[in-house]
Amino acid sequence: MKRDNNHLQPNPDPSSSSSLGGGSSAGKAKLWVEEATQQDCGMDELLAVLGYKVKTSDMAEVAQKLEQLEEVMCNVQDDGISHLASETVHFNPSDLSTWLQSMLSEFNPPSSFDPFGADGTATATALDDSFLCGPAESSTLSTLDFENNNRQHQKSGQQIFEEASCSDYDLKAIPGKAIYSQNTQTQPPTHDSSSSSTHNIVKPEKRLKSSSGSHSDIFPPPPPPAGAASYGIPSDSIRPVVLVDSQENGIRLVHALMACAEAVQQNNLNLAEALVKQIGFLAISQAGAMRKVATYFAEALARRIYRLYPQNPLDHSLSDVLHMHFYETCPYLKFAHFTANQAILEAFEGKKRVHVIDFSMNQGMQWPALMQALALRPGGPPAFRLTGIGPPSHDNSDHLQEVGWKLAQLAETIHVEFEYRGFVANSLADLDASMLDLRPTEVEAVAVNSVFELHKLLARPGAIDKVFSVVEQMRPEIVTIVEQEANHNGPVFLDRFTEALHYYSTLFDSLEGSASGQDKVMSEVYLGKQICNVVACEGVDRVERHESLTQWRNRFTSAGFSPVLLGSNAFKQASMLLALFAGGDGYGVEENNGCLMLGWHNRPLITTSAWKPANNTSPTSTITY
Amino acid sequence: MAGSNEVNLNESKRVVPLNTWVLISNFKLAYNLQRRPDGTFNRDLSEFLDRRVPANINPVDGVFSFDHVDGATGLLNRVYQPSSLNEAQWGIVELEKPLSTVEIVPVIVFFHGGSFTHSSANSAIYDTFCRRLVSLCKAVVVSVNYRRSPEHRYPCAYDDGWAALKWVKSRSWLQSGKDSKVYVYLAGDSSGGNIAHHVAVRAAEADVEILGNILLHPMFGGQRRTESEKLLDGKYFVTLHDRDWYWRAYLPEGEDRDHPACNPFGPRGQSLEGLKFPKSLVVVAGLDLIQDWQLAYVDGLKKSGQEVKLLFLEKATIGFYFIPNNEHFYCLMEEIKNFVNPNC
Repeated sequence: MKRDNNHLQPNPDPSSSSSLGGGSSAGKAKLWVEEATQQDCGMDELLAVLGYKVKTSDMAEVAQKLEQLEEVMCNVQDDGISHLASETVHFNPSDLSTWLQSMLSEFNPPSSFDPFGADGTATATALDDSFLCGPAESSTLSTLDFENNNRQHQKSGQQIFEEASCSDYDLKAIPGKAIYSQNTQTQPPTHDSSSSSTHNIVKPEKRLKSSSGSHSDIFPPPPPPAGAASYGIPSDSIRPVVLVDSQENGIRLVHALMACAEAVQQNNLNLAEALVKQIGFLAISQAGAMRKVATYFAEALARRIYRLYPQNPLDHSLSDVLHMHFYETCPYLKFAHFTANQAILEAFEGKKRVHVIDFSMNQGMQWPALMQALALRPGGPPAFRLTGIGPPSHDNSDHLQEVGWKLAQLAETIHVEFEYRGFVANSLADLDASMLDLRPTEVEAVAVNSVFELHKLLARPGAIDKVFSVVEQMRPEIVTIVEQEANHNGPVFLDRFTEALHYYSTLFDSLEGSASGQDKVMSEVYLGKQICNVVACEGVDRVERHESLTQWRNRFTSAGFSPVLLGSNAFKQASMLLALFAGGDGYGVEENNGCLMLGWHNRPLITTSAWKPANNTSPTSTITY
Repeated sequence: MAGSNEVNLNESKRVVPLNTWVLISNFKLAYNLQRRPDGTFNRDLSEFLDRRVPANINPVDGVFSFDHVDGATGLLNRVYQPSSLNEAQWGIVELEKPLSTVEIVPVIVFFHGGSFTHSSANSAIYDTFCRRLVSLCKAVVVSVNYRRSPEHRYPCAYDDGWAALKWVKSRSWLQSGKDSKVYVYLAGDSSGGNIAHHVAVRAAEADVEILGNILLHPMFGGQRRTESEKLLDGKYFVTLHDRDWYWRAYLPEGEDRDHPACNPFGPRGQSLEGLKFPKSLVVVAGLDLIQDWQLAYVDGLKKSGQEVKLLFLEKATIGFYFIPNNEHFYCLMEEIKNFVNPNC
């Protein structure tokens, strides 16, 4: 936008301003040219800082859309507006142009355009997931296929804990789409080169090749892209801090911890040792979350100083137990499962056979709710195939099989055709697409799911790229990812330490208000293990390499994925879920450019995002020119 | 009386830069979607649409921020401070030492706008504005995340404002100067300005010292329709209809707009005569339809013998201070800087 530099006039005549409705200028024009400067071909920076992405060159068009909408809304009846407000699903309000356009489309005549989707999703009722509580059992490896016929499975001899209470979240029916795939946008393609059209259409032979299940097909991973180190892509270096009143007294403790970490960073181990002892004393005088957090961090620092690294990997049955308690105590895992399931459910709309590949199988707690929702789908459930991937357990039990059996039982009771395969793998990077018995895309739709697993791949060079490549070969409809919203993978130890300190302080604070007793303690131990890994371990042992949404976005888009947006529907359902959970109590959902974040008192803690391979077009849609 | 919409849109477009017009029109649209005719509010949609930013302990352009939560009440304040000149201090929250033992560092308690219903302390527009205030005044800013209507009506916002004020006053790390005091100013835009006034009254009555009030087109009203309301209704982003809605959502049910929260110097208002009320800077936008009420407020202060400066920006619309692309913005900043000058 050009400025009129008649800067000598304090109150210039507005009618002399430019036709773009430009504002008047004043004596301080020189001072503000810097601030008001907008890149001509880029985003309007002044709006960007306020959360809106509008290209300067699009500004007039966006203004026009606003005007059109205003006009239309005045002409339409009241219920037209309320319809738009309550029924319509909104996506990514930061992208003003697209958001406005989607609302305009609601009012425009195209009669066949039904934004709500005739086959809405199913309602699920609350589910008793008590049967999922058995510990891991039989040993062995990999793939054990079974169907959901009447298979008696041996219950484990001892239940480590009582069955969990009813799952208190539902996968409610979502009118309309909770997700929005930019690939299927109705805007006309504006590609210039005609050659691109042939490349964008999925080549039949490639598709068959990847899904034939033939074991002789090996797809070697592409070489890692230049510059993508496993040590982390630089983040935006935002460090949100939330203090709860008790922490004001604990601030000295925080400073001592950071001083100790700095000493470790500088390899001044004598100083570090002295400080870590001091921290021990200070911690005792604290109460609540601060004391616990400080204790865990101090222990981790001590391990690093004395080189008493924690045994790795963690005993699986213990980690299962901890995981379960964490699941029950606070909403993080529930939010993760819930939002991921919403996205998967929508992606599977209209599909007759579906296949979920779960990178984070654990006890399979995510799947009963999805299965319930599928069971209640109008028109009947699809055939549901689940491939669960997990690490091996130490006591030679086959926990994955156990989990699969339980899910099979559930499937039987709700009349969902079910197929299960468990894969034991030390690392997701050990997987190849050929192992998964993938079926043709038009026969079976695939969803890939990963909850708090992907970051572990960053510990080994090339692992994440291998996995991205394998995922692409799966030709998924959707890839749902839930990750911690933090950068614990920076190259500088002190930075990682400080980030983690604030992050886990907030997490522990959020636990304080929730259930007490064993659940809470177990959850704290669960988190404590993560803390230990972030602080005390290095190299391939340091697997808790959390990265922020911005960093994951970079990774996914570089790897050839495009975002699948989560919308206001999923947002609302997730908010309702949180309200059920201890009355909300500081938890909040936030929308961030199509992703959903769960935070505590404004501090985002985990993020759910969804993706799709960029060149993945569904068989029924082709680009024609 | 809304007039023809075409005329309205062209008028507002003429007086603000295009990106400002887009921003405020977008808010207008979004807010229209959120308010329901029956007086209820689509809070989920509101939270979804609001653009938020997290706090950041790392300095950006010389300002860092962190959030504080009162464990008992859940009230959140976002604290903004100038970053230390000593880079080694970056990323560390200093809660033991005062801001300064030598000079006075003002603390501005800020109440964001949103007609009591919209926005939060971490809304991008307000986070940005508060950061600017810090840089401008070399002050600490504490932005209060007060409870909003219609879920929480009068007097919740005032109660939260008062709680925040007491919290600020009792922080040793917000003290400054040779007297080791917390030097407080209150500030707010739209409903935030209204809150600032009422918290200041309460403070005066409780003998809690406030050095000054900054009211940025504060939200006041009354039962009768004023000239400016009739003349400007619907012309510059705001309608009487929506103003009425927000008062109905905030005031106790059954009350009208002469309730003293809305109309502090009206028929049910109180005189502030004799009260140790802070000096006020009241900023009125000449294209704001409720300006008559704001001018009446200024009058009311004067008649109560209180010190008040009126900054009347003839050609400004509401929200002119969100984007630094107009003269009104810079004029305002200059005035605020002089007003909060600790040497006055």
